[in-house]
Amino acid sequence: MNTTLFLQQMINGVSLGMVYAIFALGYTLVFSILGIINFAHSAVFTIGAYFTYALMGLAWGFNGLLAQQKLPLELPFVAALLLGGVLAGLLAVALERLAFKPLRERSADPLLTLVSSLGLAVALVNIIQFLVGAEAYSYPSQRVLSGLPPSINLATAEAPLIIPTVRVIIIIASLVILALLVLLINATKVGKAMRAVAEDTTTASLLGINTDRIILFTFFLSGLVGGIAGTLVGLSVTITGPYFGISFGLKGLAVIVLGGLGNIPGAVVGGLVIGIAETFAPSSLKDAVAFVILFLILLARPQGLLGKAIIQKV
Amino acid sequence: MTEILRIQGLTRTFGGLVAVNEVSFSVNEGEIFGLIGPNGAGKTTLFNLITGLTPVTSGRQFYKERETTRMKPHEIAALGVARTFQNIRLFGGLTALENVMIAQHLHTHAGVISGVLGTAATRAEERRVRETSMTLLEKINLADRFDQQARSFAYGDQRRLEIARALALQPRLLLLDEPGAGMNPNEKAELSDFCRRIRDEFDLTIVLIEHNVPMVMGLCHRIAVLNFGMLIAIGEPEKVKNDPTVIEAYLGD
Amino acid sequence: MEGFIATYGFLIVTMTLQAMLALSLYLPLMAGQLSLATPGFYALGGFVAAVMSKNIFVVANGELYPLPVVFVEMAVAAVLCAGVALLVGLPALRLRGIYLALATIAFVEVVRVVALNLPITGQAVGIFGIPQPFRSSFDYLIVSLPMLLLSIFFVYRLERSRVGRAFAALREDELAAAAMGVSPTRYKVLAFVMGAVLAGMVGALNAHLLNTWNTRQGTFDAAILILAYVIIGGSRTFLGPVLGAMLLSALPEVLRAAAGLPGLAPFIAQLLTDGRLILYGLLIALGTLFFPQGLITPDLFRRRRARRKAAPAAPVEAA
Repeated sequence: MNTTLFLQQMINGVSLGMVYAIFALGYTLVFSILGIINFAHSAVFTIGAYFTYALMGLAWGFNGLLAQQKLPLELPFVAALLLGGVLAGLLAVALERLAFKPLRERSADPLLTLVSSLGLAVALVNIIQFLVGAEAYSYPSQRVLSGLPPSINLATAEAPLIIPTVRVIIIIASLVILALLVLLINATKVGKAMRAVAEDTTTASLLGINTDRIILFTFFLSGLVGGIAGTLVGLSVTITGPYFGISFGLKGLAVIVLGGLGNIPGAVVGGLVIGIAETFAPSSLKDAVAFVILFLILLARPQGLLGKAIIQKV
Repeated sequence: MTEILRIQGLTRTFGGLVAVNEVSFSVNEGEIFGLIGPNGAGKTTLFNLITGLTPVTSGRQFYKERETTRMKPHEIAALGVARTFQNIRLFGGLTALENVMIAQHLHTHAGVISGVLGTAATRAEERRVRETSMTLLEKINLADRFDQQARSFAYGDQRRLEIARALALQPRLLLLDEPGAGMNPNEKAELSDFCRRIRDEFDLTIVLIEHNVPMVMGLCHRIAVLNFGMLIAIGEPEKVKNDPTVIEAYLGD
Repeated sequence: MEGFIATYGFLIVTMTLQAMLALSLYLPLMAGQLSLATPGFYALGGFVAAVMSKNIFVVANGELYPLPVVFVEMAVAAVLCAGVALLVGLPALRLRGIYLALATIAFVEVVRVVALNLPITGQAVGIFGIPQPFRSSFDYLIVSLPMLLLSIFFVYRLERSRVGRAFAALREDELAAAAMGVSPTRYKVLAFVMGAVLAGMVGALNAHLLNTWNTRQGTFDAAILILAYVIIGGSRTFLGPVLGAMLLSALPEVLRAAAGLPGLAPFIAQLLTDGRLILYGLLIALGTLFFPQGLITPDLFRRRRARRKAAPAAPVEAA
C-alpha cells in the first residue's frame, strides 16, 4: 500500500472512528450515571438521521405510510442537523420516562433493562420502516456543502490526495461535539452534578442535586449526540435503511466495551481503534471486525482498555 | 492434636486496601475455634480466602496438608470444607428441602442422561438424598416446612437452614460466619449447645466468627483476634480476654 | 380439514420449531445465563443440512429426500454445534450478566458475517433448492412434534434431577452454589451446550422446511423473537417458553386474518400484516415492566400444589 492510499484510508478510518466514538458516547453517558446499557440508543441514532432528512424538506420514497410526503419546511443542513438532534434527544427522554424509570424504581437488574432496550430498539426501527420504507436516503450534497468544494486536493509527489469534504466535515463536527461535551462535563455546574451522580447517586441527592433532572438531562444529551451522529453517518454513507442503526448500535457495544463501560476517553479510543481497524480490514470481513474485537476483549480484559478491573463483592 | 487447617502469611489486598495482612495460625481437628475482632477487621475476608471465594494475594493455606491456596470454591468444598455466610446466602427461590439437597451434589453422581431417564440407581440415589436432607431438617426443626420457599422463612430459621445446608455437604471443617447475628440471648445459648452437639455428632471442626464475646468465650477452645487485617492475639479464651492489645482494640467497640 | 392443513400446516410446524428454539434459550437460563447465542447455532445447524443435502447426498429434482439422511444431518449439526458451543462457551461463560449477553451477541454476528463470505454457505445469496423429505409442510410434524415432545420431556425431567438442581442453585446464587460444591463452569457450559445442540437440530430441520437457507435466518431479529417468547411466556418454568413461542408465532397469522376484516383503515391493516417486529419489540419492553417472570410462573403451580400436601416419603416435586 503506498503512502497516498494509506493516508486516504487513515482519514477514512479516523472519520469513521470519530463517528463511532460520538455514537458510543451516548451509551457511555447513560452507563456512567445509571449502570445500564441502553440499546434503544441505536434507534434514536437512526431516527436522528431521518429527522434531519425530513427537516431539510426532502420527500420520502414510494414505500411506507408516509410515502412521497414531505414537511412543508426546508431548513439548511446545519439547522436540520441540530434540530434533528434535539428531537432525537427528546425521544430519548421519552423512552427514559416510559420504559427505564419504572424499571429503575423497582431496582431491576441491568440485564432486564438491556433486554427492554433491545425490544424498544427493534420496535422503533420497524416503526420507521413502516412509516417511510426501507429504501436508501441521502442528503443532497450541494445543500450540505453549500458552496464548499466537494473534495480537497492535496497534491503530493506521487499522486494527488483527494479528501472528500464530507469526511473533513464529519471529523471536525465530531471533534467539536467531543470538545463541547468534555467542556460541559468538566467545567460546568451541570457537568459537575452529572459526575457526582455518576459517582454515587445517593450521595449526590444528599448533596442537594436533583438526580432525576440530571438523569433526564443525560438522556437528552445522549439522544442529541446520537441523533447528530446518525446524521453524520447518513452523510458519509447514505442512510441505507432503518436497520443501519441496529448494526451501528451493535458495533457501538464493541466500542464501549473496548474502551471501558462508562469511560468517556475510552469511548473515543475504542471508536478510533474499531473505526481504523474496520477501514483497513478486507471488505468481506469488515463487519466482523468489531465483533471479533468485542469477543476477544470480553475474554481477555472485560473492563476494557481504560476501565478499572471489576471486583465482585462477596 | 492434628492440624486440619493451616494458614501462612495469608494476605489479601485490593486497590490500595489491605484487608488481610500476613495472618498465620492453625486450627486443630475437633476444635471449636473462634475468630473475633472489631467490625471491618477482615474476618469474613479471611473466610472468603480460606474457601476460595476471594483470590489470595500472597501467602499460603493448607487443608489437611493439601495446599488450597489457588483452589476454586467448589474444589475446596469437595475436600470437606463447608461454610455459612454473614449475609445469609440461601437459594431463596428454592424450597428448604432443595437447599439442603443441593449441598449433597458432591456425594451424588447422577448425570444428565441417568437423571432424565430415571434409572433405578438414580431413583435410589434421589431417595437417599431426600431422606438424608429431611433428617437434617428434622434436626433443626424445619422438617414440617420442607417445601416452603427458603426466602419466606423467618431470619432465625434461615440461619438454621443455612447451617443445615452446610452440614449436608458432609464436611470435616465447618466455617460459620456470625451464626448468632440477630438472635436473642436465649437463641444464642441454644446456638452454643447446637454447635457442641453437631461437633460431636458429625465429628467436625468448627471455626466461627462471632461478635458476641461471652458466647465465644464459653464455646471456643481457642480464639484468634483480628484487627485491621492483622492477627493480634491467639490462644485460650482466658488468655485472650486479658491480653492488653485485645482490650485496646475493643475499647471503641 | 384438508383446507385447514393446506393453509395452516406450515404455521403449525413452525410453531413447534419455534417452541424448541425457545427451549434452547431456556436451557442456559436454567443455569442463570442469559445467552443470545441461539440464532447463531440455529444458523449453523441449517447450513449443515443445506450443505450436506446439496453436496453430499444429492437427490434429483422433485425427488423426496430420504428421511434417515435428515436425521444424520441433525446428528452432524448437533455434534458441530456442541463443539462450537464448547469452544465459545468455555471462555465466554466466565462472564456474567450484561457481559455474557454481549459476548453471545458478538458470536452471532461473527457467525453471520463469516457465513456471508464463505462460498460454501452461498455468501449473500445463500443456498437454494434444499430438497424436502416430505411432500407437504404439514408432514414435517411427523418429525417436529415428537422432537418437541421429547425436548419438553427432557427439560421436565432435567429440572427434577440432580443436574437440574445444580442449574437452579447456580441461577439463584452462583457463589453460594460453588461454595456448596457445584462447579459453575462445568454446569454453565453444560447448559449452554445443550441449548446449542437443540438450536442446531432445529436449524437442520428448518432448512429443509424452508427450502432455502441464508444468513437472514440467524440474525439479531431472531434473537429478539426468541427473547420475546421467553419473556412473555415465562422464564421460570419450561412450559413458559413453549407456550410463549406457540402463541407469538401464531399471532402474526391471527393479525393477518384480522387485517382482512372489512372496515379497517388501510394503514391499520398494513400495520397488522407487517408489524410483527414492532409488536414483539413492544411486548418485550412491556414484558420486562409488567411480567419480569413472564406469564407462566412457578407460583401458579405452587398454589395448586399447596392444596394437596405431600408426605415427605412421596416424590416431592421441585419447581
